[in-house]
Amino acid sequence: MEIFLLKNIDNPESHRIQVYQQTGGYEQLKKALSMKPEDIIQEVKNSGLRGRGGAGFPTGMKWDFASRDPKLPKYLVCNADEGEPGTFKDRPILEKNPHLLIEGMVISAYALKAERGYIYLRGEYPHAKVVLEEAIREAYESGFLGQDILGSGFSFDLSVHQGAGAYICGEETALIDSLEGRRGQPRIKPPFPVNVGAWGMPTVVNNVETLSNLPLIIKIGAEEYKKIGNPECPGPKLYCVSGMVERPGVYELPMGTTLKEIIYEHCGGIKGGGQLKAVIPGGISTPVLTPDKIDVQMDFVSLPKVGSMLGSGAVMVFDESVCLVRVCWRAIRFFEHESCGKCTPCREGVGWMRTVLERIESGFGRKGDIELLQDIASNITGKTFCPLGDGAAGVVLNFIRNFPEEFDYHIQNKKCMVEA
Amino acid sequence: MIKLTIDGIEVELEKPITVLEAARKAGIKIPTLCYFEGLKPFGGCRLCVVEVEKLPRLQTACTMMAADGMVVKTETEKIKAARRAMLEFLLINHPLDCPVCDKAGECELQDLVARYGPDAGRFREGKRRHPESFDDPIIVRNMERCVLCTRCIRMCEDLQGAYAITVTGRGSHSFVEPFSGGRYDCEYCGNCLTVCPVGAIMSRLHRHSYRPWYIQNNVETVCGYCGVGCTMILQMREGQIVRTIPEMGLGLNNGLLCVRGRFGYDFVQSEARLRMPMIRKDGELREVSWAEALDYVAKRLREISEKHGPQAVGGIGSSRCTNEDNYMLQRLMRFTIGTNNIDSAARLYYAPAQRFLERIFGQGITANLIPGIKNSDGVLIFGGDPTQINPILGLQIRAAGRESATVVTFGRAKGLERFAHYMLPGGPSVIDAVTGMIVQELRDKVQLSGENKWLEGEIQKTRVSEAVEGVSVDEVVERLKEMTNPVIIIGPEVLQSQNSDRTLLLIAQIVYLLNGRVFLLSDRPNYQGCIDMGVLPDMLPGGRPIEMFKHKAEEVMGKEVPTERGLNLFEMIEAASEGRLKALYVMGENPVFNLPDRERVTQALKGLEFLVVQDIFLTETALMADVVLPARAWSEKTGTFTNLERRIQMVRAGAESVEDMGDWRIIAELAQRLGEEKQFRSVEDVWEEITHVSPLHTALDYEEISKGNALWPYNGEPLRGVEEEVEIQGLDDIKPLKVEAVLQPDRPLYHSGSMSRHSKALKSIEDAPKVVIGEALSEKLSLKDGDRVRVTTERGTLKATVSIDSTLGDERVFLSNTFSEGNFSSLATYGVSRLGSMSLDANKVRVEKEEA
Repeated sequence: MEIFLLKNIDNPESHRIQVYQQTGGYEQLKKALSMKPEDIIQEVKNSGLRGRGGAGFPTGMKWDFASRDPKLPKYLVCNADEGEPGTFKDRPILEKNPHLLIEGMVISAYALKAERGYIYLRGEYPHAKVVLEEAIREAYESGFLGQDILGSGFSFDLSVHQGAGAYICGEETALIDSLEGRRGQPRIKPPFPVNVGAWGMPTVVNNVETLSNLPLIIKIGAEEYKKIGNPECPGPKLYCVSGMVERPGVYELPMGTTLKEIIYEHCGGIKGGGQLKAVIPGGISTPVLTPDKIDVQMDFVSLPKVGSMLGSGAVMVFDESVCLVRVCWRAIRFFEHESCGKCTPCREGVGWMRTVLERIESGFGRKGDIELLQDIASNITGKTFCPLGDGAAGVVLNFIRNFPEEFDYHIQNKKCMVEA
Repeated sequence: MIKLTIDGIEVELEKPITVLEAARKAGIKIPTLCYFEGLKPFGGCRLCVVEVEKLPRLQTACTMMAADGMVVKTETEKIKAARRAMLEFLLINHPLDCPVCDKAGECELQDLVARYGPDAGRFREGKRRHPESFDDPIIVRNMERCVLCTRCIRMCEDLQGAYAITVTGRGSHSFVEPFSGGRYDCEYCGNCLTVCPVGAIMSRLHRHSYRPWYIQNNVETVCGYCGVGCTMILQMREGQIVRTIPEMGLGLNNGLLCVRGRFGYDFVQSEARLRMPMIRKDGELREVSWAEALDYVAKRLREISEKHGPQAVGGIGSSRCTNEDNYMLQRLMRFTIGTNNIDSAARLYYAPAQRFLERIFGQGITANLIPGIKNSDGVLIFGGDPTQINPILGLQIRAAGRESATVVTFGRAKGLERFAHYMLPGGPSVIDAVTGMIVQELRDKVQLSGENKWLEGEIQKTRVSEAVEGVSVDEVVERLKEMTNPVIIIGPEVLQSQNSDRTLLLIAQIVYLLNGRVFLLSDRPNYQGCIDMGVLPDMLPGGRPIEMFKHKAEEVMGKEVPTERGLNLFEMIEAASEGRLKALYVMGENPVFNLPDRERVTQALKGLEFLVVQDIFLTETALMADVVLPARAWSEKTGTFTNLERRIQMVRAGAESVEDMGDWRIIAELAQRLGEEKQFRSVEDVWEEITHVSPLHTALDYEEISKGNALWPYNGEPLRGVEEEVEIQGLDDIKPLKVEAVLQPDRPLYHSGSMSRHSKALKSIEDAPKVVIGEALSEKLSLKDGDRVRVTTERGTLKATVSIDSTLGDERVFLSNTFSEGNFSSLATYGVSRLGSMSLDANKVRVEKEEA
């Protein structure tokens, strides 16, 4: 497969507009501006593009909702708040190929008739901010942003808004709250942002990778695009692999590449020739898989069949040397830290799970702690305001379900199975 | 029509509402914690979860809209288990300190746990700790108890509009704090206290002093601070007010109070309250019995009246006393002693302004509904900050501004800074020019009704010969002409100038052009009652001119109405200083402190042969009196107040003390000693006579008033369509003159003169005079907030702290009339304006920075 999203990134100057243009950059924008906005939306619908942020919502459908809302102005927001643990797939685009994102955003904005866009950037990506702002400046200079873009009569302004370090702001309504200058907390839905978003106006929030697919769709058309990867959810996909593999990193592969292929072919197998013990396929919120499940295709439709999710495509690989109780505790510590505090079960329950995990991990576990953890997690599940709490409860339930012996060992022997 | 089933009950809805509200309609109470009627839904506590058929997850009833065909269950085992789980979660970090928590007994969390909660907790680790905050003088924050329902924040932002608090931190370490931390930088309305379901935000005033179940009586009454007339509940124990609280759905304030109403009640329990009558003997006030005091007063009044004629006696009523009290005083003066020398502090601006407007538009022009303001599409504010003078009315303006109304202020209005769309300059003559500029443009853009030919003539006559520099009214006029139900609010700051009559006529022109509803701000609770009860030299009860209604009054009373023209407040002071007035009876008023020019007033009162002061404190005036009679405070009496909407409302006693008498009874006792035959056994007897004498209170009884809708005159329609012509000078040659640096009275949020300076609670917020200046002056003198300054007028100098008002565009200097060590009146003098109000133009002032 031809590399598209990560094209040029080996070139140290890949972030410059000249390099981007030398390899066909901004040509798709010119093509898009000659199309009717509604035709672009139809093309995106036909392409089967699904949102790359984690939920996999059909992008064309989201755009359709927003474009049907008569309220003006409309806003386009790029969700670059890449905060899911294990996820770093958007980072190479933001830092190395920013013009691809900008081109994708201008095309999207044109299709949506949005004249104002924001890149909501993760607070912990300071370098990306510098790169993006420079790229935006270059794009303005070259007439790809601003008034009357390429003489089309369409105008679009774009700027970077840096987050302040809250994971919850990756949730689109919390992101909008934060963008408006409020405390980032999820809003009541409905209404959805496509109707009532930033400053009460129709707002489309799309992930970096999603928007970066637009130039490709325009370039090759929906029919060709659908031939890439799994036809049920096609397109190129960025998989970011971390943990105990020989070659961790970001890989652009057709959607639906198997987990096994990713780990053993692209990443060179388990580090030092060790044994795979567990793998998280799509970021910490997605259920952990045991080694027998790694033949699964990594896409939005196949992973749910084995009880997990594609999420952000962040693969975390654990071998026999890793204590999974510790992994679970560490993950819950993250969720506790990131719980926004809005709803009771997430605010109070996740912290409680952390304290129980902490005592198990540090050798003070008690009989009944596993049942207690399961009970707390079930009391959280399905009752939280947003998926954050569900995700945390899911981590605990899935780790216990798949690796009960590790938890038992910890409680009975007051120490870790791995160290023994 | 939406039809849904909740717990087997079919519910039909006209318009979409939430499942929670639909259930309440059906009489099903779904437990809640973060929900509060009137606040935006939040969906955080997760206690109101319900099962909805076809939806796998439990749904929060407070956020889910009811939909046609929905089948909802509110109390299944699954739901109960979820609620138990949520409560267990809430108790993880909630200190179980109920035995020392003032909220215990009325705590929503406690009640919910009693109903649904687990009987034992499984959380063994340490709870989160957060120190209790005493940064604040009257509010204590215990964030360990907070359940993060955010009701306080939503109240503060969405209803109060103060934006003072927020959630800081995140997760289980989220706490509700002022933005700056530490002390609240807010209006101290205390409405966050009302909505806090637990003991997280509490009043310090009664901390650890009672339990909710100690309350012996809940008495519904009306606040005694300003002319809005908020309904509140006095919670009484052993004759003392434990606290005052509002109630949702009760009164026009509907669950809201301001700082004065909520925290300012403690003055009634002040040590300084007068307990015994006093007579001046050998130059000193000595305590005597009631009988001795009353006999003596009667004797002296009779002697003076017989010797010098009834015209040598005068009375000053009180805008803080009830209608019944004021009625009895005017009755004593007119029908027992036989003089029309009766007036009140309503003279200072309220009564003349209302008279002026009524002459143009008819009686009852100011009878409009305060709760209607928020539904208007435009609010124009002239002459003062409603959020300070009448705070709850101010909240209506904020609500309107946040919805669809265009808010335009003329002159300073700090509390509306964030809500006003246009802030135009104020100040005498400048405001005339700005208003005139608007009239000139507006008159060509709206259809004149032809209803008031004279006023239309005046509108055409209006000519601004010199526009205000840098001010364009074009955009404002465009907005004004679109308005369909605007509100025009008039405050004292445009009514106390020599030429206030012209200002008011120009405002009246705008009222006419926009067909606006008028509100007259009232910094005292019963200015309107003083007017309605005939506490005016030229009007009988019911707002009837003496010459026209003399005979009818005589018929009802069986007594003669004195014919000689009465003296108003200013004239009585003048007559006293000239020796024409020999005796003055002052009820609930403090002219020495409240009228400017203390020297002049003091000298005048010294010239009297006999001064009686009936009050709750030994005021500056009482100190000069020959007899001082202790009266009952607002919370100790029963009667009625008439608010600025002309709504007559019941004032009810929380507790009556045995040894003293209410104002009306003191006067009734005195009248008996002066030969009055009629016996008034109860306050109802007084009201009964009022309904016969005043044609506008006919057949209105306390039962009817208690319903809360006794608006007078009814339906907000002017009673008389008779318009008079008013002669105004200079309408065709309006020029903005430079606004001089003059001293003006401030009417601050935290204080209200003689009463509030005896409130420890209010003094704990602000206990020293503040000088309010605009940005221009502050820059000129390089002053910043909190700097110490010397304020000098012809009358003297005082030292005070500066407070900068960014909405004050000229060099006027404002100082409140609150603290005896530094008040407006002691530095000012007064004249009488052409409107008939107090004119305060002459008080040239100099502010200087006091070097440290």
